[in-house]
Amino acid sequence: MSAASLTSFGALHRLNAIVSFLLIAAAWQLVAVSGAVPAKYFPDIPAIASAFWSMLTSGELPGAELRTLTRALTGLAGASILGVGLAVLSDLSPVFRRGFAPVAALIQPIPPAALVPMAVFMLGLGPSLYAFIIILVTVWPPYFNGVAALAGVLGEQIRSGQMMALGRWQMLWQIKLPAALPEIFAGIRYASTISLIAVVVAEMLAGHDGLGFLLIRKAFAIRIPEVYALMFVCALNGILMTALIGLLRWQLTGWHMRMTEQPA
Amino acid sequence: MDIVLKVDGLTKSYGRGADAVRVLGGISFEVEQGEFVSVVGPSGCGKTTLLFAIAGLHSLTSGSVRLKGQPVTAPPKGVAVVFQDYSRSLFPWKNSRDNVAFGMARIGGRSAADKRAKAEAMLEAVGLGGFGDKYPWQLSGGMQQRVAIARALASESELLLLDEPLAAVDAQTRSDMQDLLLDIAIRFRQTCLLVTHDVDEAVYMADRVVVLTRRPTTVDHEIRIGLGKKRDQIATRENPVFLKARHDVMTSIRNFRAGAPANALA
Repeated sequence: MSAASLTSFGALHRLNAIVSFLLIAAAWQLVAVSGAVPAKYFPDIPAIASAFWSMLTSGELPGAELRTLTRALTGLAGASILGVGLAVLSDLSPVFRRGFAPVAALIQPIPPAALVPMAVFMLGLGPSLYAFIIILVTVWPPYFNGVAALAGVLGEQIRSGQMMALGRWQMLWQIKLPAALPEIFAGIRYASTISLIAVVVAEMLAGHDGLGFLLIRKAFAIRIPEVYALMFVCALNGILMTALIGLLRWQLTGWHMRMTEQPA
Repeated sequence: MDIVLKVDGLTKSYGRGADAVRVLGGISFEVEQGEFVSVVGPSGCGKTTLLFAIAGLHSLTSGSVRLKGQPVTAPPKGVAVVFQDYSRSLFPWKNSRDNVAFGMARIGGRSAADKRAKAEAMLEAVGLGGFGDKYPWQLSGGMQQRVAIARALASESELLLLDEPLAAVDAQTRSDMQDLLLDIAIRFRQTCLLVTHDVDEAVYMADRVVVLTRRPTTVDHEIRIGLGKKRDQIATRENPVFLKARHDVMTSIRNFRAGAPANALA
């Protein structure tokens, strides 16, 4: 597929996305004005929009948004580096892989909310609390995808490297990691959503700022349009995060996206 | 003539004790400088195992492989391989030029510009001049195979090992690639060892054919193909010398297959 048609392919996807978003908004508005649901718990779109606007202009929302996004992004970056690092270690050392796999299987299913109380006792309410929770729930997709992708590098590619007498680090750096990166990025993309959820949950349960804290405060004050507006911001953050990762992914594994004709 | 490759009493078994399966049962043959040798045998006789052992990718159970007199225990500098699944051996994140340049990883003392120029020249040699910026997945199967051949040539090897390199291409591309390989072997004075199950191809390409038995595999016999270096897809295949050699090899292979247990024929 040529570059020009790839661009129009991407544009078509964006158009589809905008149309479905408008349809959902229209359906929402229809339900809200029909009176089928009490307006108090299901405000119409103008009410949500004005709540959004007042939080934006008061500076309440930008401050919370900045904190939450910073936490999610730094947590995701740390978790990705750690996850890929653990995957590489598992690839280099079968002993480590066999030892670490049961630990991973045990920690992975713990929901972020369940981690918060103990984390508060041990780490207090500072940045280390967020780092701990985000990394502990976000590290798994890059790790598991990394392990699978590194194990799945084609035998022919490995043998091509062996014929060039590559050492274990050269093999990793020149062949295994480039081959594994597309699958690792699929894991990081998934992890980005988990990271956002974990931050907001931690802020709701233990925070004194950020989107989660703002959301719970508005909920207790029964400011329903504000709560919906904040939910909308959470959803937008997901899109923002995916777009940021998409940019990095294009830089590092653009060949794979062009090969599989995925829109940028 | 200098002996490039000497395989002596090579055996390879998988497993241990009573469960051990002997695949290669003592293979001996030689390849001289500038020769094109085909190794052909019945299906499942361990041709790829033999090739990997020669390339230093598999350990031997006993016997020896010597490249210019030096025992092979790990992939030696002087051997290049074109793998059967060529499209899987290329790196999809590198363009053709960089894939070919990867073949020069063991050649020291060259600047990046030199390597680039040499990679371009090798692509030119396989008829892919101007395709340096294309990625493998932008090329047809036959073109990918040419890139794999160019990469092997770029390593300036003493011996080029070809593991059924044309098994996956269509019949017409296959004829073209056979002639390309022969042309390259002459132009670069490249010593080649082709491992294949295709008797016609083995005879058409080679100066000498080594015929293998079924498992545990040994060398049944060798025949010199007295056709000279110049081959032609039509004339050579009608030449009585070609037909006689083909008859000889085909008969041996058929006898091995007839004598094989039923499951080996599947």
